[in-house]
Amino acid sequence: MKIDSGDTAWVLASAALVMLMTPALGFFYGGLVRRKNVLSTIMHSFFILCLISVQWVLWGYSLAFGPDKFHLIGGLEWIGLNNVGFTPNPDYAPTIPHQAYMVFQMMFAVITPALISGAFAERQRFKAFVLFSLLWATFVYDPIAHWVWGAGGWLHNLGALDFAGGTVVHISSGVSALVAALVLGRRLGFGQQKSEPHDATMTILGACLLWFGWFGFNAGSAVAAGTLATSAFVVTNTATAMAALTWMTVSWYHKRQPSVLGAAAGAVAGLVAITPASGFVNVMGAIVIGFGAGVVCYAAIQLRERIHVDDALDVWAVHGVGGTWGALATGLFATIAINSGAANGLFYGNPKQVLIQLVAIGAAWGWSIIGTFVILKVVNQFVPLRVQEDEEVLGLDISQHGEPAYAL
Amino acid sequence: MDATTVIAVISCAIVFCGWLVLPHSATTVKPVVVSEEERTPVSVSA
Repeated sequence: MKIDSGDTAWVLASAALVMLMTPALGFFYGGLVRRKNVLSTIMHSFFILCLISVQWVLWGYSLAFGPDKFHLIGGLEWIGLNNVGFTPNPDYAPTIPHQAYMVFQMMFAVITPALISGAFAERQRFKAFVLFSLLWATFVYDPIAHWVWGAGGWLHNLGALDFAGGTVVHISSGVSALVAALVLGRRLGFGQQKSEPHDATMTILGACLLWFGWFGFNAGSAVAAGTLATSAFVVTNTATAMAALTWMTVSWYHKRQPSVLGAAAGAVAGLVAITPASGFVNVMGAIVIGFGAGVVCYAAIQLRERIHVDDALDVWAVHGVGGTWGALATGLFATIAINSGAANGLFYGNPKQVLIQLVAIGAAWGWSIIGTFVILKVVNQFVPLRVQEDEEVLGLDISQHGEPAYAL
Repeated sequence: MDATTVIAVISCAIVFCGWLVLPHSATTVKPVVVSEEERTPVSVSA
């Protein structure tokens, strides 16, 4: 197999773009919390970047992409990157060094548990967060990644389509976020006092950096610098813009004002929803997916508020529901005119693809719920999940890290 | 024109036409009271 320098350059650049998304997420979340918790919220993302970078090379990549065991998990043959060298792996990316593919996938594994941190913001004990993240990446993310993307994974064999991680990244993190929010309980004063974002500009900056990095996430998932990457890039931008416009319009109608934070949240919802479909749909499909994301994710937030679940930064509504919509929409709008190696969706004469997508969605929801619940209960046996009340009142920046964010 | 395109056009029409009927301004903005001190031009020098 011959290494293609263009493909390698694109995938490495994409890995760097996706890496940027995790600190961007820290800024996106950091602006949304109160000023006494901004540093701890950013630390969640920064810490996970470090933690999963090590976990992935030690055993994560092997569990997710290693030689298949029972169609459920990768083997331990690639532990410590043993047998993962510079020769391309034809199962995953035949024109780039295997380690280039590994490091690209590492960045996906990094951002996924970081997404969950928005659900338990402002109240989770840092030590419990450390243990939870390591266990969750190992027992929830790695298996689901193997099912969908691993050679021999059962959803992969079934024909489930997930170009860049709607199921693997967003459903898993979004649903786990909901479970985490329910297990940890509400923040002090939730529903009685309004928790205003302390720096909306920080959140907008984070959203813009997420949008930028997402080009690596989706277009990079073509693992080649060619037509498919170009198509993924175009539909990613289109769906994101459409979702932002739609969310802003819906919130304008509902709240009587065009919300700036709403537009940013809408953009992220669009990015989430187009992720699984980005290598399979055309621009018209992307517009519908963006429109749907703006509507259903906004509605999910209204539902979440109505049932008084304190998913602090709406991870479930944006990532869980947005990812579910995107995975389903892939089964509706996929076309082999974009990706001849994939399958058509319902609107192109293949209704069976919708059923396959529903199976993948159900499996990701089910495993995420069970895995997250069990992990949280286990961690709670060793370290209390929540900080004490006085620590929560003081703020996590001081109580957990001993550092204020601002000296103003 | 395929079904996906039709749905996409309808989606865009809903959003774009929606802007025509949305409120211009939701809240009544109270006039800002500007003090005499703020009205006075400030000379800035290095």
